[in-house]
Amino acid sequence: MSDDIDKEQVEFVSLLLQREVSEMDAEVCEQCGKCTSACPVAIYMEGFNPRRLIAKVALGRTDELLESDTIWTCTSCLKCKERCPENISPYDVILVLRNLAVRAGHPYPAGYDETIKAVLEYGVAQQPRMVRTRAHERRDRASLGLPPAEKPRDMKKFNEVLGGIVRAGGSG
Amino acid sequence: MKYALYLGCTIQAEQFGCEISAREVLPRLGVELVDMEGTSCCGFPAFSSLSTIGWFYLSARNLALAENLGLDILTLCNGCYASFVETKHNLEENADLKGFIQEKLRQEGLEYTGDIRVIHIIELLHDLIGTEKISETVTNPLKGIKLAAHPGCHAIRPSSLGRPDNAENPQKLDHLITALGAETMDYPEKTDCCGSMLATASGTTTLTIAAEKLKAVEGYGFDGLVTTCPFCFQMFDGRQGEINDIIDFIFDTDSEELEVPIFYYTQLLGLAMGLKPEKLGLELNLSPVDALVEKIAGGAK
Amino acid sequence: MKSVLVIGGGIAGIQASLDLADRGIKVHLVEKTPSIGGVMAQLDKTFPTLDCSMCILAPKMIECFRHPNITLHTLSEVSKVTGSAGDFYVNILEKARYVDASKCTGCGLCSEKCPVRLPSEFQAGMGTRKAIYMPFPQAVPLVACIDSEHCLYFQKGVCRVCEKLCPAVAIDYEQQPREVEVNVSSIIAATGFETYNPQEIGEYGYGRYKNVLTALEFERLICASGPTGGKLERPSDAKISHRIAFVQCVGSRDHRVGVPYCSSICCMYATKEAVLIKEHDPESAVTVFYIDLKVFGQGFQDFVERARDDWGVRYIRGRPGEIREHPFTKDLTIWYENTDTGKVSKTEVDLVVLCTAMVPRPENKELADVLGVELDEYGFLKAQDPLSNPIETNIPGIYVCGCCHGPRDIPESITEASGAVAKAAELIVKVADGGEG
Repeated sequence: MSDDIDKEQVEFVSLLLQREVSEMDAEVCEQCGKCTSACPVAIYMEGFNPRRLIAKVALGRTDELLESDTIWTCTSCLKCKERCPENISPYDVILVLRNLAVRAGHPYPAGYDETIKAVLEYGVAQQPRMVRTRAHERRDRASLGLPPAEKPRDMKKFNEVLGGIVRAGGSG
Repeated sequence: MKYALYLGCTIQAEQFGCEISAREVLPRLGVELVDMEGTSCCGFPAFSSLSTIGWFYLSARNLALAENLGLDILTLCNGCYASFVETKHNLEENADLKGFIQEKLRQEGLEYTGDIRVIHIIELLHDLIGTEKISETVTNPLKGIKLAAHPGCHAIRPSSLGRPDNAENPQKLDHLITALGAETMDYPEKTDCCGSMLATASGTTTLTIAAEKLKAVEGYGFDGLVTTCPFCFQMFDGRQGEINDIIDFIFDTDSEELEVPIFYYTQLLGLAMGLKPEKLGLELNLSPVDALVEKIAGGAK
Repeated sequence: MKSVLVIGGGIAGIQASLDLADRGIKVHLVEKTPSIGGVMAQLDKTFPTLDCSMCILAPKMIECFRHPNITLHTLSEVSKVTGSAGDFYVNILEKARYVDASKCTGCGLCSEKCPVRLPSEFQAGMGTRKAIYMPFPQAVPLVACIDSEHCLYFQKGVCRVCEKLCPAVAIDYEQQPREVEVNVSSIIAATGFETYNPQEIGEYGYGRYKNVLTALEFERLICASGPTGGKLERPSDAKISHRIAFVQCVGSRDHRVGVPYCSSICCMYATKEAVLIKEHDPESAVTVFYIDLKVFGQGFQDFVERARDDWGVRYIRGRPGEIREHPFTKDLTIWYENTDTGKVSKTEVDLVVLCTAMVPRPENKELADVLGVELDEYGFLKAQDPLSNPIETNIPGIYVCGCCHGPRDIPESITEASGAVAKAAELIVKVADGGEG
C-alpha cells in the first residue's frame, strides 16, 4: 500500500469541509436552546450542549472543540437538525468537527478505528459471526439457511481506492 | 416489484432474524429480492464521522452495484437508508464531488449515475405494497396485542431530505401494525432515539437512553415494541440484558428489570401470515418474546 | 366635500372613521364580516393597562353606528377602485344578510332555535354559533345574518325555522347582494392581520394535542364572554388548569417555517394573559418560555417586572424543544433548556399556550390588486418608507394604518389611524383649495 497522499484527494476533502464550515452559519444562532432541549444526550451528560457548541464555533473557539470528547458524544438522532428555527444543524457541524479533529491528530474513540480497519480489510464493519439463541444454542448464517455474506469481489482494489480516500489529508 | 436487496453490516453479521423474516415474508407480498454481489459497508457511522468522503464513496459504490443490476435498492436498515439518501443528495448538489467519486469508482470498475431509487422497508410495505394488501395476507390476526411503534431516528429525520415517514407524527409503522390486527397507540417517546450511535463513545449513557424508552413503553401497557432498524433492534433486543444488569444504576434507585419483547416488523408480519416462528428467526431474539410468540402462534391454524 | 373610504372595521379602522367623522368628513366604513370590532373585540383585556377590551371598544363601535357622518357597510368588500387621489370611484359589494336590517331587533330568537351548530369564528373555534347568528352580543350592527353555506334552507331547501319564529318578520331569503359606487377623496386601508397556524410545528403538537392552544384561543377561554364563562376548563376533560405554560415565538423569528420577523406583541400579550391567570387563581403555576422579552413600549418593562415580581410569573429563557402529551391524562410535558444555566429539564403542565406569529391576511393580495398598492416580501401592505413615511403607500391618496402593514399593538394602531386621517384630511383641504391631489 502506498503511503503517498493523493494531492487531489486532499484538496477535495478540504473543499468539502470548507463548504460545510461556511454553510454552518453559526453566527445566526440566537442561542434559543431548542436544540439542547430536544437532545437526548444533553439530558444525561451535562457537558454535552449543542447550543453552547454552536456558540463556540461562532466565536471561533473550534480548537477547544476539536480537542474535546464532546464532539464524539452525539448520538446522531437529528432532532436538533430537524427543529432548529435558523436551519443550523449542530449534528452536521459535529460531523465536520469530527473529520477535522481526526485530521488534526486529536484522540477519538477507538471503536471507530476498529470499524474503519475492518472495512478496509474485509469490506464490512463486522465479519458474520456465530450468535446465541434464547435457548443458548449457536447459530450462524449457514445453519440458518442464509446465503454467504457478501464483500467486495476485488478486496485489493477496494482497499487501495478506499484507503487512499481515508488517508487523504492526514492520519488514517 | 423487484429490488436489489442491500443488507448492510449489522444484519449480515449478526441480526439474522431481520433477514430471515424479510426473505420469508416479502416474496409472499409479491416482492422479488435480488441478492447483490460485492457489497460493502455503507459507511455509517464510522466513516461519516472520520472520513465523510469515504462515507460517500462506500454508499455510492453500493448504489452503483444496484444500478448495475438495473434495480432500485431496498434497505432494511435506517442507517443504510440515511447513508444512501444523503450520498445521493450530496453528489447531486456538488458536480465536482460527483465527478471525483465517479472516477474513483471506475477504478473498481463501477459506474455511478445516481438514477436509482432508494427504498426503505417501511416505504415498501406502507407506500408501495399498502396496508390493504398486507391485511389480505393476514390469516392469524394479532388480536388483543398492543405494540409500540419505534420507527427510529433516521426513518423520520431530517424531513428536509425526504424520509419514509413524518418527523414529528410518524404513523406509517403504526398503520403497518394495525394492518396485522394488532393495536397500537401514540406515545410521547415514539420519536425518541434508541441511543445506539452513542455506543462507540459512551458506556452507560447509551444504555440509559434506551432504558428510558423501554421503561416508558412498558409503563403504557404495551405488550412489545416493533422496529424496522437492526441497529435499534440490536440495542433494545440484544442489549436489554445489559441494561437490566445495571438498571439500578441507570435509574438511580432499586428498579424492576425491564421485560419488553422486541420484534423486527417482518417477524410479526410472518406470524400474522400464519408462518411458524422458526421460519422468522424468532429464536434469535434475546428479549423475552416467548410468551407473546406462543400466544400469537398458538392462534395460527 | 368628498368622503373618505376606510377599509376594515377593527380598532384602526374604527378610530380612523371616528376621527374623520368628528372633523365633519363623511366616511364609508367597509367591513368584511357581519360586525365591526376586529380582533380587539375578541380580547379579554388589553396591555399594559389591563383595561377590559370590549369596554373600551364597544362605545367606539356604537359611535360608528350612530354617527351621522359614518355609513357602515358590513358583510361588504371593495371590489373595484378607479380614479386617483382626490377623486376615487369605489365599488362596494354588499353581500346579502338574508335579514332585513331595518326590521331586525337583535332579539336572538332565530339563533336560539336554529338547528345547525358550527364553530364560532369569534370564539376562535373554542365555542359554537348557529347558521343564523350574530357574532357576539355587542355586535355592530346588532342584526342577525345567515351563513348560506351552512343554512339548511339554502343548502337543502328545508327548515325555515328562523323565518317562522322571527317576531319582527325580518328574515328575507330572497335578499340580494348589491353593489354601490361611491366617490371618495382618499382610501385608508385598515384590514388588520391573521394569526399563524402552528400545526406545521409538529414538535409542539398543536392540532393533535387538545390542551395545546394558540394565544387567541386561550384569550377566549379566559374571557368571561367566552365558551366557558372565563373558567380555565381545558379542552380535553374540562379540568381547571392550574399549571400553564406560554411558549413564545411560535412561528415568529423562524427561518424554517412560519415567518422570520418578530411579531411585536407576543411578549406583552403572554405577560398579560399570565397575569390574568394569576388574577383568576393566585396559586396557579405560570411559566413563560422566551428567547428575548421584547417589551419596548411605554410602561411595558414595568408591566413584565410586576408580573414576575408581584404576581410570581416564572420567566425562563429557552425555546422548548418538544411538547409531549401523556396518552391517558392528556397532561403536557415540556422539555426545555434554561439557557441561563445550561440545564435541561422537563415540566408538566395542564395547558400550553402557543404565542403565535402575526401574519398577513391572504386577502391582502386581492386587496392590493384592487387598490394597486404594493405588498412587501411577507405579504403585508407596504407603506412608502418605514422611517419617514410609514402611512402613505405607492398610490397617492391611499394610506395604511394598523396591522395590515405589519405587526404592531393597539396603541400604535390607534396612533397610525389618526395619522392616516391627518393625511386624508390634508388631501381634502388641498383639493378644496384648488390644488391637485
